[in-house]
Amino acid sequence: MTRYLSIPLLAIAALLAAILPSCSVQPCYEDTNPMLNTLLLVSGTGETAEADSLRVYTYRETDTLRFVDSNVTSFFSVPLDPDSDQSLFLITLNGVTDTAVIRYNRRPHLVSPECGYTLVSDITGLKTTHNIIDTLIIENRSVTLNGETNLHLFY
Amino acid sequence: MAKQTCIFFISLFLLGSHAVRSQDTVTVPLHIRAGFDLSGPVLNFLDKDLISYGVLGSVDINSAVAVAAGFRYSSFSSSGVLYDFNSRGLSITAGADYNFVKANVARGKYYAGIGMRYGLSFYNEEAPMISYTNEWGTGSTSVPAASHTGHFLELTPGVRAEIFPGMTIGWNLYMRLLISAGAGKDLKPVWMPGYGAGTRGMSTAAEYFISVSIPYKKIKVFIKPRVQQSEDDEETEGENTQTGAENRGFNNNVF
Repeated sequence: MTRYLSIPLLAIAALLAAILPSCSVQPCYEDTNPMLNTLLLVSGTGETAEADSLRVYTYRETDTLRFVDSNVTSFFSVPLDPDSDQSLFLITLNGVTDTAVIRYNRRPHLVSPECGYTLVSDITGLKTTHNIIDTLIIENRSVTLNGETNLHLFY
Repeated sequence: MAKQTCIFFISLFLLGSHAVRSQDTVTVPLHIRAGFDLSGPVLNFLDKDLISYGVLGSVDINSAVAVAAGFRYSSFSSSGVLYDFNSRGLSITAGADYNFVKANVARGKYYAGIGMRYGLSFYNEEAPMISYTNEWGTGSTSVPAASHTGHFLELTPGVRAEIFPGMTIGWNLYMRLLISAGAGKDLKPVWMPGYGAGTRGMSTAAEYFISVSIPYKKIKVFIKPRVQQSEDDEETEGENTQTGAENRGFNNNVF
């Protein structure tokens, strides 16, 4: 008969394991902010480029949002506007400024019950000025939480 | 929970108090059972977000195996700062239970075993409010109501005992493996009716049920009386040896 006891004892242990976590509010430990990742490349050779200085920002009616301000970098990440289907960025590369407009579709994505939803995007198009930027091309349209490179910026 | 624990141990007592009888065959009644889950309405007092009502039935195929099926209606509603979420739907499970208790002990009254079932969840989910914040500020959106079908597998260890003729109580623990939530990778349900958190590949739950059992057939099951058989064998072997010795003209008493 003792061998039958192992089944209900296992049941009690598993039941406690199932119920106890649900008694408390679980914190969110996951990344919930999808970023548009851009790699800087040398125009012509396609090799990775290191900018001496890079600033990425945008003007709004009430304020200026500064996303990136760094020296010696070959990569930058910026978030997309969650309340609009396009985001405008001013990219100052080695002191020369260009404007890039990214258009995209947004869709909700459940990160986890603890962290809630985020908005992931699919890039539908882009425009840029060409003061220093040669070309800005889409490498991967999906702006998600996986950290993949989305744009290649040649200058 | 305290009541469930108490009755659970009573169930064990009933199982343990039943002496093994040695006989070659035992007559076992096969039952049809139909019952409902008591834990769902009880848990609703503890967790107002979840309403869950379940019924289950089983039919004994032989002394060890029964086919089982269950229906469950669940409604889940969650409201928070980041999002509101609602889901509701019906889940259906079907499979088989295997009783580890031998027929001469169980006699159609006791069960300690494990079941395996396939589950389907027909549900509707929506997120009427989603709030999302990053460096740009806060965005809000919603997910309109949509219907989906999820699939899962269930492993259900459990115990059951007949408290008096025609009435059975028992536990089942549910370990569920998600095959598909059916809502795509972006909109996995916070709660999939019949399964649990749709973002997890495995979920656990428990059910305490009371059911009516009706015997529909009696079968005879052959039982090997292990202890007696080994004693008989020894006696037979002894006789054979003695006979052999006599045939050879030896007398053990002389030596």
